[in-house]
Amino acid sequence: MRGAWTARLLPWAVGLVAGVLALGPALGRGFVLRYDMVFVPDLSVRGVLADADGFPRAIPSDAVVGALSSVLPGDLVQSLALLAVFVLGGAGAARLALRLLSSADGPTAGTAVASVAAGVAYVWNPFVAERLLLGQWAVLLGYAGLPWVVAATARLAERSPGRGLAGLVCALIPAAVGGFSSVLLSALAAGPVALWRRGPRALRWWARAGLFAAALVLVSLPWLVPSLTAGAVTDPRGVEAFAPRADTPFGVLGSLLALGGVWNAGAVPPGYGEPVTALLRLVLCVLALATWVWWMLRRDRPVFGTGLSVGAAVGFTIALAGATGAGRAVTSGLIELWPGFGPLRDAQLYVAPLGLVQALGLAFVVWWAAGAAQAPVWRVGTGVFAALLPVVVLPGLVWGAGGRLEPVEYPDEWVRAQNEVAADDVPGSVVVLPWSAYRGLDWSGETTVALDPATKLFDRRTVWNDDLSVGTPDGGTVVVEGEDPLAVQVAGVLDPDPETGMPRGEDLAAELGALGARYVVVSAPVDNGFWSEGQGFEVVSEGSEMTLFRVPEARVKADKPGITGLEVTGGLVTVGAIIWSVGRSGSSLVLQCPGPRAGRSTRKEIPT
Amino acid sequence: MIKVIAACAIGAALAGGAAFVATSVATESTATAEPVNETLYNYGDR
Repeated sequence: MRGAWTARLLPWAVGLVAGVLALGPALGRGFVLRYDMVFVPDLSVRGVLADADGFPRAIPSDAVVGALSSVLPGDLVQSLALLAVFVLGGAGAARLALRLLSSADGPTAGTAVASVAAGVAYVWNPFVAERLLLGQWAVLLGYAGLPWVVAATARLAERSPGRGLAGLVCALIPAAVGGFSSVLLSALAAGPVALWRRGPRALRWWARAGLFAAALVLVSLPWLVPSLTAGAVTDPRGVEAFAPRADTPFGVLGSLLALGGVWNAGAVPPGYGEPVTALLRLVLCVLALATWVWWMLRRDRPVFGTGLSVGAAVGFTIALAGATGAGRAVTSGLIELWPGFGPLRDAQLYVAPLGLVQALGLAFVVWWAAGAAQAPVWRVGTGVFAALLPVVVLPGLVWGAGGRLEPVEYPDEWVRAQNEVAADDVPGSVVVLPWSAYRGLDWSGETTVALDPATKLFDRRTVWNDDLSVGTPDGGTVVVEGEDPLAVQVAGVLDPDPETGMPRGEDLAAELGALGARYVVVSAPVDNGFWSEGQGFEVVSEGSEMTLFRVPEARVKADKPGITGLEVTGGLVTVGAIIWSVGRSGSSLVLQCPGPRAGRSTRKEIPT
Repeated sequence: MIKVIAACAIGAALAGGAAFVATSVATESTATAEPVNETLYNYGDR
């Protein structure tokens, strides 16, 4: 069972197999649309960069998707993005475990099985399942990069500053693509690692912290610059709406400990709350955590163990605080003080570092169960069974979460409208109706809730209702106000009916044209077909799935969309830093040969 | 090596069987028991 192939290929194979098993039908042709996950054919980079004046949540993830869509079909780009979550995450955790547990002679059968356990546990858990069903693929991309970032951060201490920085920036590429939540998770998981690290150190803690902060800033510029200059506000009511909740019989604490507890009940895998599997899942998590603590007390603990433990503990505390009234009050107060604290609203997100801790803890359990080089083969079999337990206790994720990730094709009317708008040289935005952010799409035969894909369909700025209505457990509704100031102005003109989302205003073509709108698109079947009469629109295309109206050119007062020089500079610096890091580091996400190792009892090596 | 591979296959097969049982239990339970979760969303029907 020894050999270079184990170290090279097994971790990637773990991630790939887990990804195919979890995504299943989602990897086929067509687009998977679910909650925040919206991919469209030929996503326009220009449209992404021109979109919304609020917080740039879709940057740079959608910009990267748009760039890739210019050379690959959009649905293939989506499949690759989703598969990358599992491959990168599974491979990263498996490589980390493999290098931590390997002896000087190389990996044994027990070590290989333990690495499988780490890879499987890291990508097959409630956090991944729920965020996937919530459509937050960009967040998951950052989550997948955590093992690589932790490893690269630990290596800062033993490398020259330039090489260490390059390795870290390279490891941060998934987080850079994912955007602000991904970078925050990376900071949480690996920030303490930069400060606390065992073993030989060529750099002092402050130098490591400085390099770590520099790497984070370098990969954050595409979203950091516009968010600092946009003056976006964050509604503190989101703290209540996005609070962690119990999705198992074990309360919020038990749910969070098992890496679940997402705020949206619609994002829970099928059969998730069933008591037997929920109990087994909790037992497995507690066992993995207890083993991690035991490992931390041994002399041969990982060099990054203390830092990762601190990051996981802080993240779990943030998540737990979101479940208490006092914690939510503090978070709301912070957001009112400075909107930059807005990302703390979705508190469950911060259990992510705990996922890595549990994965490595389970790997240690399996390594102990599977035994050393000369152990009986039945122990290897037992280890394999234990390594696959994360799948056994969370069967709801299998094959696209029981078919919930079913791809669909866009209706012809949508593609026709997209082409009509693309062929128009007159500047101006697209106003999306009905005035509601989410749609119940039934293109697959079953209704799936998703962010209206029309908000990303066109190669120009879209204006849509970015308010979010969330139903509370007591039957009430919380409306989390959006962040786009132009949407507020447009809503004032539209005067939308709260029941139908269709406008009640008059002379809309002139009024919307004055606000820079060139098109109005109705992206859902509506009962009232007479709302547009006498409003001054030209009908471009009409159908049951989508109707496109045009504001006469003379009435459109639109500025040419553009991004500031500062934003362009920020984006170019990030791209340049990433290119430099890949060339300079010669490590991290690029396939490479593992370096020399010392024995388990002397020193821990980490993959980068 | 053959013994090790056989042990791995047996372990994986047992895990697969257990996953199948867990899926069946979870599916039946979902159909018959009170759901743990409350629906939070009230949009998507337009």
